[in-house]
Amino acid sequence: MNEIPIKAYKCKKCGRVHYPFHDRCLDCKGREFEVIAPRGNAKLLAYTQIFNLPWGFDERFLIIGVAQFENGVKAMGQVKADSLDGIKSGMKMRASWEPVRKVHGENVFGLKFEPVK
Amino acid sequence: MREVAIIGAGMIPFGRRDQDTLLDMLAYASLKALDDAGLGDKSVDAVYVANMGAGMLQHQTAIASALVDRLSLLPAAADAIENGPASGASAIKNGLLAVASGYYNLVLVAGGEKMREVTGWKATDFVATMTHPEVEYPYGITLPGMAGMFTRLYMEKYGVTREQLVDVAIKNQKMGALNPYAHVEMAITKEGIMDSRDAVVNNPVAADPLHLYDLCPVSDGAAAVILCPLDLAKKIAPKTPVLVAGFGQATDTHTLQERDDPTELKAVQLAAQQAFERAKLKPADMDVAELHDAFTILEIAESEQVGFFKKGEGGKAASAGKTGLGGQIPINMSGGLKARGHPVGATGVAQVVEVVFQLRHELEKNRQVKDAKNGFTINFGGFGNNVVAFVLRRVEA
Repeated sequence: MNEIPIKAYKCKKCGRVHYPFHDRCLDCKGREFEVIAPRGNAKLLAYTQIFNLPWGFDERFLIIGVAQFENGVKAMGQVKADSLDGIKSGMKMRASWEPVRKVHGENVFGLKFEPVK
Repeated sequence: MREVAIIGAGMIPFGRRDQDTLLDMLAYASLKALDDAGLGDKSVDAVYVANMGAGMLQHQTAIASALVDRLSLLPAAADAIENGPASGASAIKNGLLAVASGYYNLVLVAGGEKMREVTGWKATDFVATMTHPEVEYPYGITLPGMAGMFTRLYMEKYGVTREQLVDVAIKNQKMGALNPYAHVEMAITKEGIMDSRDAVVNNPVAADPLHLYDLCPVSDGAAAVILCPLDLAKKIAPKTPVLVAGFGQATDTHTLQERDDPTELKAVQLAAQQAFERAKLKPADMDVAELHDAFTILEIAESEQVGFFKKGEGGKAASAGKTGLGGQIPINMSGGLKARGHPVGATGVAQVVEVVFQLRHELEKNRQVKDAKNGFTINFGGFGNNVVAFVLRRVEA
């Protein structure tokens, strides 16, 4: 697995994991956080296949999902699959950090999820 | 605090309005509301203009300053309100507070959006800028995509079916076909969008499991209302005043992924509770409702979250006709966002205009809820992260 340069934030007071960053904890309002990285595989929580794409994408469709890593970090990413056949809520996904779009000809990197066979 | 009434309401037909600028549309709707209130050549104290995208789509900012000038309402105070697709109801809320506080007596609230002058993928991108700029937007997520994920979770948890979503679409397009202000004036059948081979072509998947006919159209349009203290309304209003009996507003996390249970629309529930409490009324007291059905699933989910139906019962209620004209709670007799259209900055105002028409008993028989006294609106921003609700009540003579 290539390195995933995501910073998630674990509240030092109550332990809630945040991604993205919040200045105060969503549960206890604490302001001190331990920076953590997503760890291990991820469980797919929600997904969709979008056919009407926004400006900036040339693909015919995108499959996008939200998954939760083993240490509690939840994140959105693109799902590497040709169709929704075989994609199911709760399935195990392997995460990688890859180009997800281009802006002004430059790659923008982000999370991609791939089903673990 | 003073009680506040709506004494004027006006809107223009939604749709593709290539001939009009955004300012044209705002001006037309505002003049209709001013005339409806019998204000003629009189002025107002303040103007609130709801708009989400003029800066991006028309390369025009400070739209409220432009509107007061255009309407010769100078030197009225003027503010533009941007709160995503909830801009319209947010602007009315600001007008309501301004009148209730006693600072202003007559307030014009206008909402408008011109979305059709850009391509579909630009419009989709514009709306997607509401998503989180670092952890959502870069992936190409769209609002229909958010709704697709929400729908699948809702289906898995509550057993909502595709047929129930289709029933909502059919009802709202049937009502839209009866509404002269609606963008989509075309009734549809189950056969055409679900039960035939043609349905595959007519109604393709847009954001799985949502299909094209589960989504609202991209629209141009504008709507406006006039607010004043109830005491003044009783003296000057040429038509039956409508009391803003209660309002509520609540927020939720920016991203869906940080909600403990993404199928719970907490901001919808809280905004509705506040509005009912302030009005001293219950969901069962409502005669008509306009819910924010940008996607068919939202009409079902909101109908449960505001208390019209128990959680998990909204889809069945829709299929059983409980949300149609003559049903337990007629929802979206305008056609809703699904058929009236969704010019984002105008929508929250248009919902209130529709309910005002309903409570004044002015509509054609095929759309009018008989003897309607209390009405309800939900205007939904982002994917439920900023929601405004109103309870409106007919003021009997």
